[in-house]
Amino acid sequence: MTETLLEIDHLSVDYETARGNLQALRDITFNVKKGEIVGIVGESGCGKSTLISSILRLTAPNTRFRQGEVRFKGSNLLQLSERNMRDLRGDDISIVFQDPMQTHNPVLSIGRQMVDIQHRSKASKSEKLSKAAHMLGAVGIPDPEARLTQFPHEFSGGMRQRIAIAMALMSEPDLLIADEPTTALDATLEVQIIERLQKLQQEFHCAILFISHHLGVIAELCDRVVVMYAGAVVESGDVREIFHNPKHPYTRRLIDCDPGHIKERARVLPTIPGEVPDLANLPGGCIFRDRCDQALPQCAVDVPPLEQLTEGHQAACWLNQEEVHA
Amino acid sequence: MSKSRSELSQIIHGVARDPLGLMGLIIVGTIVVCAIFAVWIVPYDPIAMNIKDRLQGPSMTHLLGTDQLGRDTFSRVVMGGQVALKVALPAVFGAMVIGLTLGMIAGYGPKWLDNLLMLLFDTIRSFPTVMFALAVVALVGPSLQTVVVVVMATSIPTYGRVARTQTLTLRNSEFILAERSMGASMLRILGVHMLPNIIGVLAVLAAMDIPTVIALEAGLSFLGLGVKPPTPSWGALLKDGYALIRQTPWLVVGGGLPIILATLGFTFLGESLRDVVDPKLRKQR
Repeated sequence: MTETLLEIDHLSVDYETARGNLQALRDITFNVKKGEIVGIVGESGCGKSTLISSILRLTAPNTRFRQGEVRFKGSNLLQLSERNMRDLRGDDISIVFQDPMQTHNPVLSIGRQMVDIQHRSKASKSEKLSKAAHMLGAVGIPDPEARLTQFPHEFSGGMRQRIAIAMALMSEPDLLIADEPTTALDATLEVQIIERLQKLQQEFHCAILFISHHLGVIAELCDRVVVMYAGAVVESGDVREIFHNPKHPYTRRLIDCDPGHIKERARVLPTIPGEVPDLANLPGGCIFRDRCDQALPQCAVDVPPLEQLTEGHQAACWLNQEEVHA
Repeated sequence: MSKSRSELSQIIHGVARDPLGLMGLIIVGTIVVCAIFAVWIVPYDPIAMNIKDRLQGPSMTHLLGTDQLGRDTFSRVVMGGQVALKVALPAVFGAMVIGLTLGMIAGYGPKWLDNLLMLLFDTIRSFPTVMFALAVVALVGPSLQTVVVVVMATSIPTYGRVARTQTLTLRNSEFILAERSMGASMLRILGVHMLPNIIGVLAVLAAMDIPTVIALEAGLSFLGLGVKPPTPSWGALLKDGYALIRQTPWLVVGGGLPIILATLGFTFLGESLRDVVDPKLRKQR
């Protein structure tokens, strides 16, 4: 068994709002092992972004960590001093953001920005520049030396995202967080970026926490998947298990809704009826109950715990308990 | 260093390509050169009186005639340009640097500091500039330094507000979040990433502000509150010319024309600069 890199341990995060405490994350538990690619899926507003900002501790001022720990290489990031946390960011943990059109400083050349993020290194400027050129080459930017003098607006969206990946990998991080890195790109580029990430992952041996709501991409890229719904983990496990043998009704419906899985032609794409519950005013019991077509009486009473079903497959649903007990 | 010099020459080339910018560059260049070499350009001592030759019209001996004390108007105009720049450049530069610093602190720092600085800016802004200047001059007496300080103090809020707004916008932008998530410290974010995004706007503002300051200095001198006579100033020339407009129109021309030219020149330059410093508008090299 390989070493665990990142452990999210019963993490609960609230946002203090005018309407009361918004429970953005509740009892999140999962881990990422060294060199592993873990995908996080879930619809908009399920807490993916809160989770990332909690790991990096770049949260909004009204964020409250209610309970739990985020352990990176064994040390709790939530307890770390601001100084130590800053040393970690961009060095041990890097991130690639969703919108490549927004993630570069518009008035500095790519070369200057890539030199600037090496501010921890003692190398000379020309060494830093050649490293930057090498990284651009590694992500498949042709003629990298000449490209270094150009400004972000002179690159296409796909190139900018590759530059962002190059910058994130520059310090050879142990963990790369990819926050929907392909959402803002079109389908052809998406494939390109995914293949590039796979190649780079083998080269740099970093773990990747890949956030997406595109199931196809997750299935293609990841070793393990964590399915989130309304701020909680509903199911997690090996990618094959999750896609071939989903144990939570939400996962099942999510897969049914994936356009890649639809066999019959229809005018209307399938959706999951209902809405995500109000996180500031949570109903008791299972959060998915209102939208679930298999709800049991017990679902209205207790929150189902995340149960180990088989080796490397966990789900939080009373239905599975029924099966076990029956 | 060589890189920043090439950037500067790029900006100058860009300005020169634009007809208005070229005109601004020529006018501003002329004024600056005249001011620097004023001592060698002037044919007469600008404060030497010669009552015998008072109130003459233009001639070969006196290009723009003489004033009521027989002083050569052309010499006074040239030296007046030096005085105008001596007030405008330090005042604008000082206001820009202080305004930029305070504005960035207000925009990036804690809310209470922002409120405090904004209160300070608004307080300064609430005084009409000329009234403020009158009060200060009445207290400490007219001098070049007083004018510089007054102008600087009253224009700090303009720069401060612009810098603050820019900082606030940038602060929530994705690329700043990206820098933070890459472990950049606050100083690095402000200095390396925000400053280049703000400085262009402020430089343009400064170029456009210089004529205002020149006009303000002229205005204060016109009111007799600017530089002390007999130091030549465009405003003082206007004032003398205004009183003597029935005897000779040349003093008003000598004082007014350079103010108009300077205003136009710096404004053209500023406008053109604005288009050039924005890298998104910069033409492909």
